[in-house]
This record gives sequence, C-alpha cells and structure tokens, in this order.
Amino acid sequence: MALVEVIQLRKVYQRDAEKITVLDGIDLQVPEGEFVALMGPSGSGKTTLLNLIAGIDRPTSGSIRVAGTDLAALSESALARWRSRSVGFIFQFYNLIPVLTALENVELPLLLERLSARERRERAMTALKIVALTDRSGHYPRQLSGGQEQRVAIARAIVTDPRVLVADEPTGDLDAHSAEEILTLMEALNRDFKKTIVMVTHDPRASKRAHTQKHLDKGVLTDEA
Amino acid sequence: MRFLPYILKHLRRNWVRTGSTVLAMASCVFLFCTLQTFLHSVALSLQSASGTRLVTRHAVSLVFNLPIAYKERIRGVPGVRRVAMANWFGGMRDLSNQRDFFVNFAVEAEPYLEMYPEYMFPEEQKRSFLQDRGGCIVGRETADKFGWRLGDTFQLESFIAPYRADRPFEFVLRGIYDTDQNRYPGTLRTVMLFHHDYLYEKTGRNVGAGTFIIEVDQPERAAAVSEAVDALFRNSEAETKTETEQAFRAGFVSLAGNLALLLNGIALAVMFTILLVTANTMSMAVRERRTEIAVLKTLGFPSRLVMGLVQAESGFLGALGGGVGVLLGWAVIRYLPDIPVLGSLIKAYFPNLVLSPIIAAIGLGAAIALGLSAGFVPAVLAYRARITEALRQV
Repeated sequence: MALVEVIQLRKVYQRDAEKITVLDGIDLQVPEGEFVALMGPSGSGKTTLLNLIAGIDRPTSGSIRVAGTDLAALSESALARWRSRSVGFIFQFYNLIPVLTALENVELPLLLERLSARERRERAMTALKIVALTDRSGHYPRQLSGGQEQRVAIARAIVTDPRVLVADEPTGDLDAHSAEEILTLMEALNRDFKKTIVMVTHDPRASKRAHTQKHLDKGVLTDEA
Repeated sequence: MRFLPYILKHLRRNWVRTGSTVLAMASCVFLFCTLQTFLHSVALSLQSASGTRLVTRHAVSLVFNLPIAYKERIRGVPGVRRVAMANWFGGMRDLSNQRDFFVNFAVEAEPYLEMYPEYMFPEEQKRSFLQDRGGCIVGRETADKFGWRLGDTFQLESFIAPYRADRPFEFVLRGIYDTDQNRYPGTLRTVMLFHHDYLYEKTGRNVGAGTFIIEVDQPERAAAVSEAVDALFRNSEAETKTETEQAFRAGFVSLAGNLALLLNGIALAVMFTILLVTANTMSMAVRERRTEIAVLKTLGFPSRLVMGLVQAESGFLGALGGGVGVLLGWAVIRYLPDIPVLGSLIKAYFPNLVLSPIIAAIGLGAAIALGLSAGFVPAVLAYRARITEALRQV
C-alpha cells in the first residue's frame, strides 16, 4: 500500500471572477521508502501539490491520504498536530528563525511535544549529528553558509522523526557543491533512515538522484520520459 | 514556560525598537505613578482638614493682611466657637540656603492649639510653650532634621519683607509634637508654630493677621458662618473671603478643583498614545515575521498557539515597560525629597509622599493591559495568516 495516495486531486484558485485550475485530477501513489522528484515548468502546480501532500493547503476536491490518514477530514488543529508528527518540510530558502541558534531552530518542532528541555536538546543534537553540524549548533543562521543553513533546515525537518519529507527546491538557492552535499544527505536519509521523500526541483541533476521522476505540466501529472 | 526563551529572543531581535517601546511604556507608567502619588498625597492632606474649621483671608490675596481688630467681630458671629490668627512666616535659618526651608506659622497659640488636636505633645511642653513668648513648637521631622532638642535656641529670618526685623528672630524650642496618622492622616510633621504676639512686637506692631482660623460649633453651620463673616466686612477696605479649611488648602496648593481631572486626562492621553505606539511596534514585528509565522504553522504550531505567542510577546513588552516605569516612579518619589530646595518644598506641600502598592499595581496592570491590547490585532492577523500565502511572500 502506498504511503502517499493522491486521488483525483483538484485545486482551483479564485482570482476575482476568474477561476484558475492549478491541479486537474491528479493521481499519485508514493510507496513507503520512495524518493520521488516532481519536475515541471514554473506555474505548473508542483509547489501546490507539495503543499497539499504536506497538509499546509486544502484541495478543492479529491483526496490525499498519507499513512492512512485522510488529510481533508482533519480539522485545522488536527491537521497542525498531524504536520508536527508526520511530515518534515524543507524549504528552498531554508526559512530558519534568524534569532535562534542552529540548535534552537532544530529544537523548535519539539516544543510541541511533551519533552523535558534535556530530551529536546539531546534529540536536536542527534538530528544535527545526522547532518554533520554538531560543531555549529551554537551558530546563528547569519553565521552559516547557505549549504549549512539548508542542513540545519533538514535537521529541523527530521527531528520529530516523520515518515514523509517534502522538499521544495531544496537546492534552488545553493551553489553546485553545496547542492551536491544536500542531495547526498537526502539520499542518505532515504536509504539509511527509510524516509519517504517527495521533492520538487527544476534541476535535472537533482531529479536524477530520485528513484522516480514525475512531470507536472498545466496541472496534469505524467511519468518522466 | 518552554516558549519563554523563544519570546525573549524575539524581543531582542530589534533591540532599538523594543527598547524604545519599553521606554515609552515606562514613561507612561512613571507619569501615572508619580501623578497619582502626588494626587494621593494632596488628597491625604485635604483629608486632614477639619470640617469644623474655616479660614478667613483677605478677599484680594493672601499677600495682604487683615486688621487684627477683625478678630473680635468674627468672634461675635453666631456659631463661632474660637478664632485664632495665623500668619505664614516664611522663616529660614539661612536665607541663602534654600535647603533649610520648612513651614512655620506665627499663631495665637492658645486658641490655635485648642483647634488643632492633631498636634500631640506632653502637657508640660504645651504649658512651657504658652508661657514663653519667644518659645516655639516644631514637628518631630523638623526637629530630627536639624538635630534640635527641647530648650535649644535658634534664629530664623523671614523672606517675606514685612516680617523682617533689624535682627533675626530668636526662638527657644519648647515642644516637639507628634501626630497620629491613623486618626489624622496627612498631618504635616514638619510645621513650626510660634507666638503671633512675638511677630507683632518684633515687627514694630506693623503686621496684621494673615488669616483667621475659625472653629464653628457645628460643621453643618460652616457655610452660614462663612457667609456671615464675609458679610461683616463687605464694602470695607479689607474685604474677606472665608472658606472651609479644605477648600483653602486646595486653593493654596493651586489645586483649584480640576487639577486631578487635568492630571488624569494627561495620563489617559499618554496611555492612549503609548497604546498606538505599542500597537504599531507589534504590527511591524508581526508584518516582518510573516514568513516565520508561516514556518511555525508548517512545523505544526496551531494557529491559537501562534496567536498566543504574539500576545505573550506584546504582554511581556507591556510588563517590562510597566516594571521599569514603576521602578523609576518609586526611585523618583523616594529620592525627590532629598534634592536640595525642591525636596524641601515637596516635603512641605506633599507630606507622606510614598508610592503605594495599589498605585504601583494599577500602573503595572495598566501597562500589561496596554501591551495585550496593542498586540491583539497583530495576534489575530497572525492567527488568520494562511501558510501558503505567507510563504509566497519570501
């Protein structure tokens, strides 16, 4: 059974009197442990699909089930709770909180759990160890390079041990060397920690690291040739 | 509590903005605390005024004396029990040293002390004072300030021209009075009283009565007696104005009626301004953190928690400003009386100047309420912020 199951998904935005169909009857199955790359031109609906899978947006129609949970059936607060436990989000621009250190940024999702400060710290350090940044735990985002910031963001995404990671152009803001490091790290998370990854990318080199490539164009999903 | 470090870190994010908002809030609370403390002190002072005592003065101004002969005519007014002259002397040990300022009156001692039971001292001291024309009594605070003991002699010179003689007035300390602040709240412990006769003689019998203190037999007759006294001298060269002691004091300390209203109005206006300033600060803080708010929600922070964090930050800002304001108010009120010259005047006119816990609590509470109110709209905006829209604004 697929971990992520998208059936006849539609997303329509209303702009004034005009209706814009971004996703038009998408079907997608992502088995557990899969690493999927979503590609497509700008405005094709990749990020929208990713947001819907991550539970930060609601579909117009159709259903999304992640690990058996029907996201459309969840209330706002239940959906927030589900996000905190079941999905890790990696942004293109890292989106770390600038006033918090790397360690505090990684700890942030754990503030929602009933954990002692010591437990939080230990878990955050473990996550930083996975991304090989324990020596930068006390640094603020402005003191880190882009690649390091993205590694901290990945540590934040995995600190609650979610089954699914969604990444929106995780290498889009990085130089080639840093991008390679991030992709290698994501491969390792998929291979060694069995994380199911859905990644949006424009970069063909990045998509080649994934097991499966999907192409999205004008709201319709096709398998990459 | 686990979110407190997160809130504090955000307050430090733009410390100039946070600092200036805290300072603005602190100024507001400081103003509130000090103004209310001064008003409270004045209210206490007015409370100590007796309902049976009236004060008659020159209708034009306190500066002018009234003829001493008025005394017997006032005594003849039905309802008047006692009358005593009392002149503000304005005496100082050294006219060039304003630090020495304290309140001193030349009074007709016997009737005056009968009318003022709030000045409490042993009978033998009273007798000794009444028998010595150059004698005086002072409040405990003034005696302590100058280190005076019974029997000590000292000299005073008045800064009021008609009360100046060729040589300074010499006094012998015959009594030191205490007060019971429970029975007579607000009674000054700094006043010096000496004999009007002494002033009269030393000035070559040229002075009149600065005021007449009148005791009426029943408080409810105060208005009628006032009217009757003033009617006696209507169309004379020295018309009088008679009013209750409370009204006299209020007028004397320039608190004619609406000062409390004015001061409270100022405090309210300042508070409203600070509300706008803090609301603006919080709006800016939330606006520039829209992406962060979206990230928090993406990480699973419920909208209510995000709203609570913004409200807590705003409330904390208020509490911080309130705390600083209360501390500042306490320090100023505590140390203001120690400032040379100004301090002496303040002690004279505003006895019992202490920042009460109630005023401090109201000030702090108002600051927190201001902070929470100012943060309400930004917090609601944070609550409503849609993740996808906010993330798109990166």
